Amino acid sequence: MNPANGGWVILLSLIAAMMLGVLHLPDNWPGWLGWMRPNWLLLVVFFWVIELPHRSGLIAVWCLGVLVDVLYADPLGLNGFILAGTTYIAWRFFERLRMYSVLQQCGIVFLLVLSAELLRVYVLGLSSERPWGWSVMVTALTSMLMWPFVFLLLLRIRTGVRVE
Amino acid sequence: MLSALLIAVESSTRLLDPTRGFLASIVSPLYVVAESPYLLSDTVSDLVSTHAELLQRNQALQRQLLKLSQVTQQYVALRAENDHMRSLLGSQGRLPYEVLIAELVGIVPDPNTFQIIIDKGTDAGISIGQAVLDAQGLFGQVVEVGRFTSRVLLITDSDHAVPVRVNRNGVRSVAGGTGDMGSLELENVSISADIVEGDLIETSGLGGRFPPGYPVGVVTSVVVEATSAFAQVLVRPAALLDRSRHVLVIFAPAEAEIEEQQP
Repeated sequence: MNPANGGWVILLSLIAAMMLGVLHLPDNWPGWLGWMRPNWLLLVVFFWVIELPHRSGLIAVWCLGVLVDVLYADPLGLNGFILAGTTYIAWRFFERLRMYSVLQQCGIVFLLVLSAELLRVYVLGLSSERPWGWSVMVTALTSMLMWPFVFLLLLRIRTGVRVE
Repeated sequence: MLSALLIAVESSTRLLDPTRGFLASIVSPLYVVAESPYLLSDTVSDLVSTHAELLQRNQALQRQLLKLSQVTQQYVALRAENDHMRSLLGSQGRLPYEVLIAELVGIVPDPNTFQIIIDKGTDAGISIGQAVLDAQGLFGQVVEVGRFTSRVLLITDSDHAVPVRVNRNGVRSVAGGTGDMGSLELENVSISADIVEGDLIETSGLGGRFPPGYPVGVVTSVVVEATSAFAQVLVRPAALLDRSRHVLVIFAPAEAEIEEQQP
């Protein structure tokens, strides 16, 4: 993730994803929309790893995850683990994943986000008694539905700016 | 591995608080940027409001000020009387609490938890555990401080609890958050306790974290079930938890003085 070769585009997209993650909805919008928030950052990281596997480092992603923990007020290390895990899976299978159709990728994204959310619920459950339920499914579903759009947008940006 | 270690360390100790605070100072600008559309729309609506509207608002505020200053006058007299009584009893008078006004700059978006980000941090002298109020009542407490911002856990978060008493008769209890923005629940209230609908609930100051005597909410329902030894008491929070943009952070007087105050 060095700034040369359009690295700033990667950085900007990550920051944008983090911002979408903390942007709260106007007060007069219905509250249930809050549950539909996709895991933006995971989508963006997933995209960059399968597109540019040689440029993503596990440690860098993990550090990013720790920052995100503070941002989202999650236990330290949780998002680091989730993002590093995603990166590892994407990096291990990037050749295969790239060949997949967008629909198949959606399936993979669904599974990734679902396992990330389940892990998150489990870790939060260690330190507090938050109720949980179908919301884990909802996040996974919305992330899956957003994936084609995120993918096409980032792909266009990537080819436009020629990030190598 | 490292993640698991970090999670374990953090959930059991407070060792990582400074690290968190430091990282929070790095990422907090993101909250400010994400919140900026709302701040901007506030500014714009201030700019475009008409002269008549402003006049009207000004008048309303004037009236409110007059009313409040009348209450304050009474308060001064009551306070003097109270101090006098206390000195007769041989206990020390109550110290006034210092407050710091802070502005909300962000809301933690996770719908499972109620937390907000305010624009004052260690630079303004804030530390973890301080109580936060808004103009109407108790708001929450500081759970994380960065240099320029801090994170406040609201009283309705399901992980939050505050020691309270009934204003009318001093019955003590603990008000726990329910995870629902509009209600708190009094925990372990026996069915014979004298709490009725409409009672004002205020902080009791036990535990020393929250200053005593600030309004927490009003009892909205008391349900007694024959099968349970406890009554289910719901309280509507007094603070405008989802609307206030300005909050007050309370600086308690030194520790020893707090202990003196408590009977």
